Amino acid sequence: MIGVAIATRDLVKRYGRRRALDGFSLTVPRGAVMGLVGANGAGKTTWMMAVAGFLRLSSGSVDILGRGPFDAAVHSGSFAILPQDSALPLEARPGDLLYRYARMQGLPVEAARKSARDMLHAVNLLDRADNSIRSLSHGMRMRVRLAQCFIGSPEVVLLDEPLNGLDPAEADRMRQFIRARRGRQTIAISSHNLHDIEALCTHVAFVEKGRVAKTAMLESITRSVTRVAFTLAARPADMEALSAVVPGATFAWNADAGTLACTFDESAGGVAAVNRKLLPALLAQTDVIAVRSGLSLEQAYLGNAGQRGPDVV
Amino acid sequence: MRSLFRIGQVMLAECAGAVRSRRALVILVLYLLSAVFCMTGTINILGKMENELSKMLMLPESEKTGVVSVTLWKSPAFQGMVRSGLRNDLVYNDIEGRHPAELIYAWFAFLCAPLLAVLVAGNRVSDDLKSGAVRYALVRVTRMEWTLGKYLGQVAMVALALASSALGAWLVVVCKLYGVGTFELLPAMFGWGLRAWLYALAWLGLALGVSHLTRSGSRATAIGLVALAIFTVWPGLLKLWARSFGCPWLDHFDALVPSSALLSLWRQSVAPLFAGGVHLLVLGLTYLMFGHLVFARRDA
Repeated sequence: MIGVAIATRDLVKRYGRRRALDGFSLTVPRGAVMGLVGANGAGKTTWMMAVAGFLRLSSGSVDILGRGPFDAAVHSGSFAILPQDSALPLEARPGDLLYRYARMQGLPVEAARKSARDMLHAVNLLDRADNSIRSLSHGMRMRVRLAQCFIGSPEVVLLDEPLNGLDPAEADRMRQFIRARRGRQTIAISSHNLHDIEALCTHVAFVEKGRVAKTAMLESITRSVTRVAFTLAARPADMEALSAVVPGATFAWNADAGTLACTFDESAGGVAAVNRKLLPALLAQTDVIAVRSGLSLEQAYLGNAGQRGPDVV
Repeated sequence: MRSLFRIGQVMLAECAGAVRSRRALVILVLYLLSAVFCMTGTINILGKMENELSKMLMLPESEKTGVVSVTLWKSPAFQGMVRSGLRNDLVYNDIEGRHPAELIYAWFAFLCAPLLAVLVAGNRVSDDLKSGAVRYALVRVTRMEWTLGKYLGQVAMVALALASSALGAWLVVVCKLYGVGTFELLPAMFGWGLRAWLYALAWLGLALGVSHLTRSGSRATAIGLVALAIFTVWPGLLKLWARSFGCPWLDHFDALVPSSALLSLWRQSVAPLFAGGVHLLVLGLTYLMFGHLVFARRDA
């Protein structure tokens, strides 16, 4: 199992007749930052809870770091989770709480103190270390919850909606904090904010109806070699002139975004060749504000989920 | 060893949480005040009774409360009443020479320890299950370690409450009966506090065991109180059933409830005290493990 941090196979979790997980299989490579993308109730949170051993599975197998399913006696200190909708003890103080968690993980006293202090510093809460959790705002509590995940640098971290409730500045700080851990820790992130997933993850899994519909490296999904989108000042008046420049290409205009998407086949010679031909033709009709090749994750997800047609711009 | 270490860490976290939890603190203070008021009230009543008695017998009033009571307590007639009331010569022999004040405190401690245990510990697990706080611990310690750590934390909290109540009761006795500067009765008060703590071991196991069964703290406390009521009348019910149905062996089921070990705790010699303590600890752990078994098989 070298090279694999989490391997889950055919997970099934039933709640009465409903199946929250229905044959969920996902492998997370070591060092990857895996983003889980899916609709509400698709099974992302349930998968995380199952991996962490909080849920009793109906069937299926889980393996973490090649040491079997989660067992605190085995995985304590090498696995952490930010569970969704789980409050920290309100009477506790962040400094004490993180120290105590570090001690439970087996860190020696000094290392536990240092780790707790470092994590509070990382989430910008060092000055609130001695206040009770009850006195902290929602966003601050979220930051303490995030901090507890990285105490002692566990090898595997699961984050369920990690940036929920954070103000823009703190959200950006947390993005940088998580991004800095790429390659050093294995992280799985569940989020409805696809821009966050795109900014943080190296891999992505599309989750639908309790199972994984598609898994890939993020780059392979978003860096399409047969699509380019132009943000324009105005809609080109003569679309036929554009079609003549790149024969066989299809064009789609999105008036709301002011973008024109060009999808072509490989015979067109790739993105650079298409740009060389198409840009002069576009500039002859209007101003070009931006050019983007490939798809955003949101476009790829919506296209994959079939919620819009293939000409999403 | 690592497991013991993690249990210790959960215990420390539980103690810290319980100390900071307003509810636990309020209950502990209430318990201490109850002990103080109970001792004060009882001694005041004793004082009034002694004065009335002195008036009726046309004797000079005693300057200090307790002199008449102690004399009365030691009188053969009164001792005979106590002996017949206790219906246990071993216990009678052990408490025969004790000061009435310490026996009043012992009675209070034994009466209130179960209530203290249920009120302090009744919601400690269910609240964590409801809020989801348990999940932060369960990626670091096993469910069994968490359960045992919680139990030991509450055991420590109740020890603190009983020690402080023993100290409070002793201070009342010193002020009311002896005058400041004497340490007489202090070891005896702590001795009774220790016995009440042994008694509480079983009730804490019951309260925490029940707390594992539900996510509602108030429901867990309510179930704990109902269990307390049932367990209180249980020996009486068994005796009644044993007589009614002609099944004397039913009496043996008495051992399933903590009150069956209570008489051992009144003893002064080590052997029965030790046996009673072990009995109560086993009962407490049994109740606790029953709750844990349910918790271990369900989603956290």
